[in-house]
Amino acid sequence: MSKKKAVMTSGGVEVRQKPLKLRIWNNRGYYLMFLPVALFVIILYYWPMLGVRYAFYDYKPIGQPTFVGWANFEKMFGANKQAFLTSFFNTLELSIVRLLITNLSAIIVSIFLNEMGNLFAKKTLQTIIYLPHFMSWAVVASIFSLFLSPSSTGMVNGLLRDLGILGEADKNIYFLAESSWWRPIFYLINIWKETGWGTIIFLATLSGINPELYEAADIDGATRMQKIFYVTLPALGNTIITVLILNLAKVLNMFEPVFVLYNNAVYDVADVISTYTYRQTFAIALPNYGYSTAVGLFRSLVACVLMLLSNWASKKVRGRGII
Amino acid sequence: MEGRKKKLHVFDVVNYIVFILIGLIILVPMWKVLVDSLNKVGVYQFQLWPSQFTLDGYRTIIETQALYRPFINSVITTVLGTLLGLVLCTLGGYVLVQFDMPGRNLFSYFLLITMVFTGGMIPEYLVMKKLGLVNNMWILVVKHGMNVYNLVLMRNFFEGIPSSLYEAAKIDGCSPMGIFFKIVLPLSKAALASIGLMFAVTVWNDYTTVKIYITDPDQTNFQYKLRNMIMDGDTPTTAYAVSQNTLFNAGIISAILPFMLLYPFLQKYFVKGVNIGAVKE
Repeated sequence: MSKKKAVMTSGGVEVRQKPLKLRIWNNRGYYLMFLPVALFVIILYYWPMLGVRYAFYDYKPIGQPTFVGWANFEKMFGANKQAFLTSFFNTLELSIVRLLITNLSAIIVSIFLNEMGNLFAKKTLQTIIYLPHFMSWAVVASIFSLFLSPSSTGMVNGLLRDLGILGEADKNIYFLAESSWWRPIFYLINIWKETGWGTIIFLATLSGINPELYEAADIDGATRMQKIFYVTLPALGNTIITVLILNLAKVLNMFEPVFVLYNNAVYDVADVISTYTYRQTFAIALPNYGYSTAVGLFRSLVACVLMLLSNWASKKVRGRGII
Repeated sequence: MEGRKKKLHVFDVVNYIVFILIGLIILVPMWKVLVDSLNKVGVYQFQLWPSQFTLDGYRTIIETQALYRPFINSVITTVLGTLLGLVLCTLGGYVLVQFDMPGRNLFSYFLLITMVFTGGMIPEYLVMKKLGLVNNMWILVVKHGMNVYNLVLMRNFFEGIPSSLYEAAKIDGCSPMGIFFKIVLPLSKAALASIGLMFAVTVWNDYTTVKIYITDPDQTNFQYKLRNMIMDGDTPTTAYAVSQNTLFNAGIISAILPFMLLYPFLQKYFVKGVNIGAVKE
């Protein structure tokens, strides 16, 4: 931050001497460089923004869009209220719980990593736990649906039989198609995939702790556990808050992890806004783009509020915004 | 003194045990997939080594012609998507650190608004349809080629380059492009590697975009095809006597193999990428 100011003032002396036109002309090369970026941003982000007007239209793949006012929103909170609200609250619950538990496990693992004196062991474990992050959700979902499969090759069902938990008379459990199992499994898979990657940011903070703090604690006769609780954890406080704030803005974005793991038997616990929008558009015979756009617009508006909220919180806590 | 030494010792033992447990939790599922992909019969047990070793699962994958096109599509879109992504985010990031350029703030807001508000899935789909990118694999390049978040990371990195270097080059009469290619890019090799890898992983791993935009089997990518094979019953026919389970697992391994082979060499760049964004204060 201080650096930016220095540049501004050193440029400021020049600025006062040159008229705006000349400054623009002098920077023409930069404007030219920005052109391709602007083009892509307009096509990918701004043009679709114009499309949100269809939220107020009846727009079928065949025929012209007709203006219908608030009808799509009335349908959202009227005829389709149950499915829509289920997906809305599922989105909040699934992403917030996921955010909290993956970060909690990341914090615990980073403390263990930080306490490890053997550098080789530390590096090896880091290499291993980062791995799942690079697997696509499609692959991770495939792996776990094979393990949890009710077929004779499903590992979990097989083990339950070996342990006698499932008896001769019991059927194999189809874990991913049972509402009571789906969420715990979803969270466990997320922990498996993202814990390792989550540790990076906490480890960076831990490596920045002043060693004098630990030395002072040693002199005071602190045990290792006491050092973890009174030195290490407080140092993580700011980072934890930062991570939570940064992710608050993304809470409504959840799509792919759910999309690859859910099925029509578990919509009640698994359906999120984006998957609901997807089905309303691509999985029914005669979709109304207007209705799906309205659902999407509602999502975008709530996401926008969350983003601004998280930006405000970030400015309060860290002194700088997230955007 | 004796007592404390003993206590430390106990903690270290516990730590090693925890380390081994965490490592196993991550590795056991992967090892199971690998072993099952090499086993002629499908078993539910966890085995350290396949009970009936065979490479026929992989032979089937290699001989399944329906997988060729998706694989080639994946390679092409990953390479081009990464290149386009790097070009756009270095150009944009570089322009955003020109503090004496009129309109710099305007450009920043122009980009940041896209992080706050988006059109949503359907308006995006309708735009892509107009552009002829529905049922067209180039959607993967176009969609991932512009990433505002990575652009901001790049800008943060460029901010760290001492401005005296730019000033000196400007005084020597170097053009903006000249400074960009001769000074900025050579100093940013590590950041380019990190952010380039992020782009590559994103494009290679993308399943959702294909699912939404593409129905033509010739335009799909490898992830999509394999996932269909495993979870949606699009099993390839095999000339070998192997179980379906073997084929599924061989498919999973094939999908992650490229990155798993490169991963040990590239790991430090991945980690660096996260820290470019995180450490900046």
